[in-house]
Amino acid sequence: MSDQTTYANQIAVVKQECPDADEGEIGKEFARYEVDFLIPPEDALRSVIRKFQAATGVEISTNTSTPVREEKKVQRFSELGADDRNVSIEVAVVSYTPRTQMVRGEEKQIAFGWIEDNPWEASSERVRWDYKDWGNKGETMIPGSVIRLEGVSVNEWNDKRSININRTTRVTVLKEGGGSAPPTSNEPLSIARASEVEGFVNVVGRILSAKPDAIVRKDGSGEMPIVRGKIADSSGSISFLSWKEFEHEVGSLVKIVGASIRKFHETPEIQINDGTVIETYHDTAFPDVSELVESEKVSIADLRNGMRDISITLQVESWAQRTFEAQDGSSRTVRSGDVMDPTGRCRLTAWCEFDPKPGDSIRIEGGRVQFWQGSPDLVIDNLDQVSSLSDVPWEKIDPENHWVEVDLTSVTQGGSRRGISTAGTIVAINSGSGIIERCPDCRRMLRDGTCSEHGSQKGEEDLRLRFVLDNGVSNANLFLGKEPAEEFLGMSMEDVKSEISSIGREVFVSNLRGRVLARKMVVHGRCSVDDQGAMLFADKVEIVNPKPAKEAEEVMQRWDVVL
Amino acid sequence: MGCGTLISASGSRRERQSAVRIFAQEYSESSLIERGVGEYDPSFIITKLGAKVNRCLVCGGLERMERRDGDSGPFYRGQIRDPSGTHYFDVAPFQPELHPDAEELLARFETGDSILVSIVGRQKTNESEDGGIFTSIRAESFTEIDLETYKSWMVEAADATLRRLDAYSSSQGVELTDEGFRNAGIPEDLMAGLMKSREHYSEFDTEVYKVWILKAFSRAIGRAEESFEGIISNDSEPEEETSKQATDSANPRDVILEILTSNGGDLIEYDALVGACISAGSSREKAEDAIEHLKDVSMEISEPRFGFFSISS
Repeated sequence: MSDQTTYANQIAVVKQECPDADEGEIGKEFARYEVDFLIPPEDALRSVIRKFQAATGVEISTNTSTPVREEKKVQRFSELGADDRNVSIEVAVVSYTPRTQMVRGEEKQIAFGWIEDNPWEASSERVRWDYKDWGNKGETMIPGSVIRLEGVSVNEWNDKRSININRTTRVTVLKEGGGSAPPTSNEPLSIARASEVEGFVNVVGRILSAKPDAIVRKDGSGEMPIVRGKIADSSGSISFLSWKEFEHEVGSLVKIVGASIRKFHETPEIQINDGTVIETYHDTAFPDVSELVESEKVSIADLRNGMRDISITLQVESWAQRTFEAQDGSSRTVRSGDVMDPTGRCRLTAWCEFDPKPGDSIRIEGGRVQFWQGSPDLVIDNLDQVSSLSDVPWEKIDPENHWVEVDLTSVTQGGSRRGISTAGTIVAINSGSGIIERCPDCRRMLRDGTCSEHGSQKGEEDLRLRFVLDNGVSNANLFLGKEPAEEFLGMSMEDVKSEISSIGREVFVSNLRGRVLARKMVVHGRCSVDDQGAMLFADKVEIVNPKPAKEAEEVMQRWDVVL
Repeated sequence: MGCGTLISASGSRRERQSAVRIFAQEYSESSLIERGVGEYDPSFIITKLGAKVNRCLVCGGLERMERRDGDSGPFYRGQIRDPSGTHYFDVAPFQPELHPDAEELLARFETGDSILVSIVGRQKTNESEDGGIFTSIRAESFTEIDLETYKSWMVEAADATLRRLDAYSSSQGVELTDEGFRNAGIPEDLMAGLMKSREHYSEFDTEVYKVWILKAFSRAIGRAEESFEGIISNDSEPEEETSKQATDSANPRDVILEILTSNGGDLIEYDALVGACISAGSSREKAEDAIEHLKDVSMEISEPRFGFFSISS
């Protein structure tokens, strides 16, 4: 069947609009839409008509007359004339006083006050003018804030100039004004909720642990006794640090009033000081210690920097010891290795004579977490924190093939982890992909032959790729170091170097874009998550070949769609 | 010191916005803009289904690509077509790093080959003096893709649209509060946008979304020809016939002009005009084309507000 017969109906419609167009050509265009763009002829009709209208000289005018709006942008009030309208300027808000005023028999809410130009400099460098707000901008004009006003006018009366802010004025807040303290209430918060806030809180909880400790004063004036411990309710648990005497025993139920929540690295902690009141609390329905401890068990995926008092079961993957010279010249030994559980893997460091063998099952009580190269590192300081188990409560994990699948959104919402695999679509290639130069001292990337730390350096060449992985809801920066990049590109670093020098960096990146943009990628490696988002460091990556039919079946099943 | 203040004023670095997978129709229907309050806060387009779009990933057949010269240098404009409609995109003069790729795409387009492209870009809106909103995409990166990748994107966009449709229907009759939405099982990432869209847009029919989702699926599976095509062309053939007969008696142009002259200058909605033409025996396509022609070519009617028409004065 030729295009002409297949699309006879649509061709007839196009011919009505464009009598000069060739039917064979129209048919080809419909076929092109159908086969190449997957657009059926009835949907392609408008596009095809437009194309032949343009081709046969039926001009389609597009109305693109943009309204002229002359804007005057100034830095200082002194640049303004008495008649200036539509002015843009950045100012600091000094005061904002609302007032009701009668305007033409109507009650109107207006406001007046002071603003200062040159808002980023000291007050002595600024000039202060009066303003009147006719546009109800009170919500954005908070005293102390710096704002950009767009579309204000100058008013002159009795030789004194001021600014009129109108209803159409756009106010952009550049710097928030005086922060107001969050309101405190007397109601106790659940421990899960308290962990999310900062500032003063009241909580009710059962004490899971309490151990005396000491903090060494930095000025060398001795030690300060403190008590560290953990308190829990059914919503979760939180560490506490008491700067004053703490005589409540493990297991007792207390109400803590007026404690402050501080973050130690990424882990919130309740600080108990002189102003804090701790009283015994009575609630027979409150879960007892064994119940709370049971829900306290963590896995590797739950670990966050700064956590203390951790109980966890692990399978040892590898173990090694290393001796080094401490600052005071003495020789110290640190033992460390990789450990796993079904949720992932992490490092375990022991500052004691602990020597497990690969495959051993161990139980840690009272461990702590610190960060090591962006990943959580479990630390034990004494041998009594660890015990051997005859077996792990899960099927033995094969370290060669232990990648825990985590969807990208869970990666970005969780903590830093190793041994994960995740997937998404590549939506960007970030700058600094390809051959870079690193500082020989600190491995930082050199910019124009200069290290931000060590100044001008003779750089060492390295290969890396930086992508953004995105699943439509979450995204993460993806880094490929030399080995995974070489494997992914199928080229050695030397090959990449010579290719870039022959085709140029831009073409190299453009080719790379053609290969990865909008393609799905599976990443094996580790992730590091902080308040700037998630970073993935790949051990290996793979582009997933699209299987649209299979993907469509899955999605249709998920949403119960029938064709 | 001033410089230091400026940096601290910008606050901590913002998290990157994820790229929403979205079909052209849902995107182009949007009229709700949320502008960031602070200098570096992102702006969003909020769609009827509650998608908050700052960045998007879209794909389609390249229908148009051109270079223009503006006051600040050359820029590029184009259009891509997906099963639901058309996305408009541009590459600005201040993105010179993208110009070589844009040139290459333009050259490819001018050969007449069919080119499928994927575009990652930021939302962009043009607002007319009277509040009409035209949505488009400022490209950040783009590349030519193969048919299988395009199909795969269609499935992903359909998945994302179905997810929003599901959240939209769950939000019906639910109090517009965080708690109400959470209890209704609406995903966290859709809550804020959906709440704003429910306040801004009036009720609308979600069936049209399902039409192009089904189209996308049947194309991705590759059995469009047998099943889906049959239904469509059977439907449209008699319509085309009647429209041909009816064109003499009820020219959509006359229908539109009559409605607009006889209503005392009030604005009439696009759908109402199309509906009137169809009930007068015209086809949807003809009605839409007539509106476009009257507006852009003969300029007998104007569109003072987006989607609303009146006789040109």
